[in-house]
Amino acid sequence: MNRSPAQLSAAVTVFVVYLLLAGCASAPVEKPRLQRENLQAVNFSGSWEMDYSLSDSTQEKLDVMARDLNRQAQRRAQSEGRRRPVGAEMMVRNSAGPNSGSSVLGLARMADLITQSPLLDIHQDTHKISVKREEDFSLTCEFYPGEMHKVETPFGTEICGWNGHQLVFELRLPEGLSIQHIITMGAAGQKLLIATTVVSSQVSFPFSLNRVYNRFEPGESGFQCQETLTRGRVCTTESR
Amino acid sequence: MSRNVDQGQGMYDGIALMTSKARWVVSVGGTVLCTAVLMVAGTVSAASTQQSGLVDVGLVVFDPGIPADQSTHSQRGIFPEIRTAEAKYMPVVLRQVLIESGDWGVVRVLPEVLDSSELLVTGTILQSDGLRLQLRINARDASGVEWLNRVYSGSTRSTDYPVSVPGDPYLGLYQQIADDLVAVRRQKNAKQLTTIQDIALMRYAIQLAPTVFGSYLTQTPEGRYVLVRFPAEGDPMLARVIRIRNQEYLFIDTVDEQYEHLSEEMAPTYNLWRQYGAEQAIYQGEYQERVASRGAQGRRGSFTALEQSYNTYKWSKIHEQDLDELALGFNNEVAPTVMDVSGAVVELSGTLDSQYSEWRDILQRIFTLETGLPPAS
Repeated sequence: MNRSPAQLSAAVTVFVVYLLLAGCASAPVEKPRLQRENLQAVNFSGSWEMDYSLSDSTQEKLDVMARDLNRQAQRRAQSEGRRRPVGAEMMVRNSAGPNSGSSVLGLARMADLITQSPLLDIHQDTHKISVKREEDFSLTCEFYPGEMHKVETPFGTEICGWNGHQLVFELRLPEGLSIQHIITMGAAGQKLLIATTVVSSQVSFPFSLNRVYNRFEPGESGFQCQETLTRGRVCTTESR
Repeated sequence: MSRNVDQGQGMYDGIALMTSKARWVVSVGGTVLCTAVLMVAGTVSAASTQQSGLVDVGLVVFDPGIPADQSTHSQRGIFPEIRTAEAKYMPVVLRQVLIESGDWGVVRVLPEVLDSSELLVTGTILQSDGLRLQLRINARDASGVEWLNRVYSGSTRSTDYPVSVPGDPYLGLYQQIADDLVAVRRQKNAKQLTTIQDIALMRYAIQLAPTVFGSYLTQTPEGRYVLVRFPAEGDPMLARVIRIRNQEYLFIDTVDEQYEHLSEEMAPTYNLWRQYGAEQAIYQGEYQERVASRGAQGRRGSFTALEQSYNTYKWSKIHEQDLDELALGFNNEVAPTVMDVSGAVVELSGTLDSQYSEWRDILQRIFTLETGLPPAS
């Protein structure tokens, strides 16, 4: 699923050419409405591993978007009496501005980067959830009636809460970057979908990636470990 | 006025206090009044220091200062389990400082407020982390006069860590409290101190037998207690009161040892927790400065710029979440000891607090049966 920046760049180049001329990149991000009562709706606790076969490929997602935008560009060109929607010089001119190739590529690469965690370890109780992501920080949220969980730091702002049976995390960062993760549990409780949408102020459309995870039971190791302060990780052979 | 401190043979010699786990049964008038199991470890010192003129101090386990609104805890950096442990740990440190000063009589850590303490010290933890400690301390003597009511703040320097045991990075704060208490005590003459001790004894006596001792004290509209008179020397009723009080002190001293044990067990982990907490806070501060001073990498909207923005946030979160992991490590290590102290060390039922209440209730009933007086309401 993960492509090199060069591969992504090539795909984005094709895609952006259509995009820029189409001027269509204004699909708004549909913001989920977070519930004020903010009560736990679903328990996502468990260990989860990514199902690559069901998850979006960044490359394919770009291709699909390119095709869509191409069609839109064609329609627009036809309505304006032009024969061809493509003008390579447009992309060059826009190489450093809004909706430029590098901005779109940056957005796609960011989406890819922040959705790479192959394993999730989720702990949830009545008032709190912690989504531990391998090689990334944990997504955490607290749910108390009537309060939206919002954390503001000098480096960014986090908002989270429930939208029906979905848990929504929104992260607003400097450089006009905002990230939204929507977590949904599958009907049988064995699959987890994380829909991630990345928005940049330099690109007028969002980029979304869906990652699907399967529930798994960590193997019976025959020992139990816990963190301690003075001795680090301490394991015993006691059964659970 | 006379004072009786009877530590000799009492009528409850049958109440055997042993230096190892012991079980004792009190039977009065052929009827089993109550059966309590008391395990006493180590040497206990129930001696009142009235004769030495030194004021006894009761340090109540601190109020951990945990807001009832749980939703504010993480925002305020409060880890409730750690605060609960600190609330038991800190009075032991203060107790040690007071004992070492030699200015006081018996200094006890109490599981709950004992109104008849000669000097009762209560505290609330307002802030506690590796960089800063803030405590509200109140001290009031048995007559109801307030000795102290102020907020003490202390901060640490990098040289305070690692903490050498025995020691505490906030020793100066505890020392300040001790100095302030001594300063108030020095303003009082021997007679005033003796009166405080007498009032403490009478307040205890009134709790046991209000009909007998109620007239010995009056209370002003401001809540101050004034000694009207004092039982004659050799008064058998007062002797019983003192014996009962000494039994209560024996229990408290046992509890006190448990707090000390907790403190000793907890100290290495707790010191490490504070050290890591301080290091984290310093690192976060420096990280903020570094981020603020460095320019943006890459053109706005480029992958480099977006990645920089994300990674800055990511690393600040990872450091913040490290503290959560450390708190978990602290809890895993210290919680069993806290539970030992709060739980079944003394084989009365319930928590340590309720055990203490149960114990006081037993003493009250013993006194009532012995004297034939109506029980205090």
